[in-house]
Amino acid sequence: MIVQGVAIVVALVWSLAPVYWMVATSFKTELEAARLDPTLWPHAATSENYRNLWGGSLPFASFFANTAIACLATAVLAVAIATPAAYALSRGGFRLRGAVGHAILLFRMLPLVVLLAPLYLLLLHARLLDSSVGLVVGFTTFGLPFAVWMLKTFIDAVPIEVEEAARIDGYPRWQILARVVVPLILPGLVTTGTFVFMEAWNNLIYPLTFVTTLEKQTLPAALVLTFTGQFKTDWGGMMAAATLTTLPLMIAFFAVQRSLIRGLTSGAVAGA
Amino acid sequence: MAPRSAESMPWLDPMVLPTLALLAIVIGYPVVDTLLLSAQDYNLVGTEPARFVGAANYWKLLGDPTFRDALVNTAVYTFGSVGASSVLGLVLALLTENVAGRRGRLARMLLLTPWAVPFVVVAFLFRYMYLQNGGAINAVLLASGLVSAPVSWLNVSSLAMPAVMVANIWAMTPFFFLLLSAALAGIPGEVIESARVDRARGLSMIFSIKLPFLRNALVIGNLLMIIANFNDFAKIWAMTQGGPGYSTTTLVIYVYRQAFESFSFGYASAIGVVWLVLLLAFALAYLRAVRAS
Amino acid sequence: MASICLRHVQKRYDDVHALSDCNLDIANHEFMVLVGPSGSGKTTLLRIIAGLEHVTSGELRFDGARVDDVDVADRDIAMVFQNYGLYPHMSVYDNMAFGLRRRKMAAAEIERHVRRTAKMLDIESLLHRRPRQLSGGQRQRVALGRAIVRDPAVFLLDEPLSNLDAHLRVQMRAEILKVHRAVTATAVYVTHDQVEALTMGDRIAVMNEGRIHQVGTPGELYDAPVDQFVASFIGTPAMGFIACRVHRSPESVELSTGSVRVRLGDAHANALRRSDADTAIVGIRPERLTVASEREALTAEVAVRGTVEAVEMFGAEQYVHVRTDGGSITARVSRDRPIRVDETLTLAASARDLHLFDHATRAALR
Repeated sequence: MIVQGVAIVVALVWSLAPVYWMVATSFKTELEAARLDPTLWPHAATSENYRNLWGGSLPFASFFANTAIACLATAVLAVAIATPAAYALSRGGFRLRGAVGHAILLFRMLPLVVLLAPLYLLLLHARLLDSSVGLVVGFTTFGLPFAVWMLKTFIDAVPIEVEEAARIDGYPRWQILARVVVPLILPGLVTTGTFVFMEAWNNLIYPLTFVTTLEKQTLPAALVLTFTGQFKTDWGGMMAAATLTTLPLMIAFFAVQRSLIRGLTSGAVAGA
Repeated sequence: MAPRSAESMPWLDPMVLPTLALLAIVIGYPVVDTLLLSAQDYNLVGTEPARFVGAANYWKLLGDPTFRDALVNTAVYTFGSVGASSVLGLVLALLTENVAGRRGRLARMLLLTPWAVPFVVVAFLFRYMYLQNGGAINAVLLASGLVSAPVSWLNVSSLAMPAVMVANIWAMTPFFFLLLSAALAGIPGEVIESARVDRARGLSMIFSIKLPFLRNALVIGNLLMIIANFNDFAKIWAMTQGGPGYSTTTLVIYVYRQAFESFSFGYASAIGVVWLVLLLAFALAYLRAVRAS
Repeated sequence: MASICLRHVQKRYDDVHALSDCNLDIANHEFMVLVGPSGSGKTTLLRIIAGLEHVTSGELRFDGARVDDVDVADRDIAMVFQNYGLYPHMSVYDNMAFGLRRRKMAAAEIERHVRRTAKMLDIESLLHRRPRQLSGGQRQRVALGRAIVRDPAVFLLDEPLSNLDAHLRVQMRAEILKVHRAVTATAVYVTHDQVEALTMGDRIAVMNEGRIHQVGTPGELYDAPVDQFVASFIGTPAMGFIACRVHRSPESVELSTGSVRVRLGDAHANALRRSDADTAIVGIRPERLTVASEREALTAEVAVRGTVEAVEMFGAEQYVHVRTDGGSITARVSRDRPIRVDETLTLAASARDLHLFDHATRAALR
């Protein structure tokens, strides 16, 4: 019992200490953050790092806005496109159903970095390079396989009788999807959308490669690019930027974590 | 959709078309293009135009020591991190399984925190903590007397990969923790109770009773994370860019550098094709092994 | 209302024959019950009539017109599902109005229909509630209401009462029949409970393993089952069967096996004379058997002597399960005479209460 308690405390420290460190550092002065014997908490707490982000030479607000808008658009778009596909795969009734299901799974496994070269050429010709549209198209497509898979497990849980009743009531498939199925999987839609949002927020390689103007960059790529210049030794500033980059993701994550697990595990756990 | 007789079932459902179209254009077409590129000597900024060279890139691959290093690094990084994370996740799930009430819920929620941190942030945060002079980790180690001099974690070839893996494990463990907690909660109460009546306790309870129920979740969770880790770019690039030397260069990093630092699109594509084949083979073998047991 | 006609209907899933050569005629405004054990195909047949499944071969007609290719929405049917199939996110009112809205009815007229139906089923006070706030019985009424409000030509009910407790089930049976009388629709009702079938149906179709064994009124099925399956399926407690050897002589045909002796009446005797089978199966309804004294046993036309395996008390009667050489049989007798397990006794019956079945085909011999 005591061992269990100690172990849990150790686990909590292990999980939370780095996050604390990040936030604590963000409130330290540049000097204090670079000390050879680091301080456990900021001795001279300051919010200058955060102020510098907003008013400084870097368009941090742009980075934040670019990322937020692109990821939000991606989440909405991916869910909108994936839902009919997940519905079709869940209810069946067409001969290529198995093949399509496997194909979508296959796309999930593809190493995206491999596709960067031809994708770069493709976007170049479509003049979507260095644009937010190109960004959203890429993020959405990469998020589709997972979204379809996750939404399908939510749709599978809707009893088929409710849909049959709607068919008997005279409604065609698209309307059944919109009026009957979707209202019943709203938590699933939100969860899937959040997950796609998080995946897009985390994506570094795509914006790094396809966005060339710094102002149009997303947060992850901007952090990497500016690190060589601005933040080389300014760890306080870097941690402040890092904290702000983390905040939206953390809020989104904790808002849906319970539903997230249900969606992730209903397929996995059901076999038990 | 009523299951019709085989003769009248349509081939395709229009509802999947938008998804398939996007996937085909944005991913499918580049895959085909990759195959084509891999057979060419294509340098984006080179002075010579692209030449068809057949399998020359692949021969080059076979003799490329960096490619071999990248393969090994990828295997170590992926399987090592995923393996450690799933074990740690399991331990955490078992530890917190019976903690009831608000305290339990709070603890479980807090343990999830690392998962909510963006990958780039994980990389920079740990990079900061791994600093030879002024890094938090060295400070703790020095203060507790475990080492006598500050360790250069990310600049020593033999230490860099483990260091990167630790960061990866830190971020990935909550996924397995959550997955396995849910799986544990799904074990029917009667099974546990009859095991208790049969005097199963502690380790035997865990191994013979609970683990079989977790098998499904572990299999799927591992597969998901292995695929994700194979593709991991942000965590490594932001921490070490694949260095020092090539000690943390995985396949992803290697392809990226070939494509966007050396601009050898042809060669990068060849690596990608080999990688794709490897991943497919692995997934097939994995699924078959799972289905067999 | 509509008449329904099925001809040579087959339904195959890959290699499994769910339905084989089903023929059925259902008249206008009839209350037809499809009854049978699980897996008999009764629900599949119902779903084919609904259009939720398609026939592999055969014809389905409503009022003489083929509807095989007509879509579910256009068949003018309404269905009540076993698990109700209510829309969880809509109120009771919206559940009932959903189908009407599709027809572009005016809102005022929709309200009139819904309220009238709700009144008929006594659920007016529930109109603003959601399904999850209702009890099982209330949900059943709403499901019924949703079907009625559309005023369809055909009502289809798929074991609607199986999820209710026994008391509620009896109550709802009467309600459903009352509703059926009040509307003009034809009804097809699926159940696995033969008691329900007997009490509710105008006619009953007994199904087993994808085939329709017999279609008839409750009386016909009870008095003249066409084969052993129907005879054993209908009736509580179930009919018992004894396999006997046939002894043909110029004056009479007798059956016997061990301690069982049966003297056949003319009709049965002639039927057995026509065949040359040397074994036949005898069945007697439990309420036709009496416990015989030694003297009665000698003169009875049918005498079955055996050992009592079990005795069940049912109110004023008892069910006595007797094991004989040719099979087990059950008798339904009064409790006046106490009977003990392992007791040996003789059950008697008259020849005209016998049911005779061919040993090979299980068909009834008349």
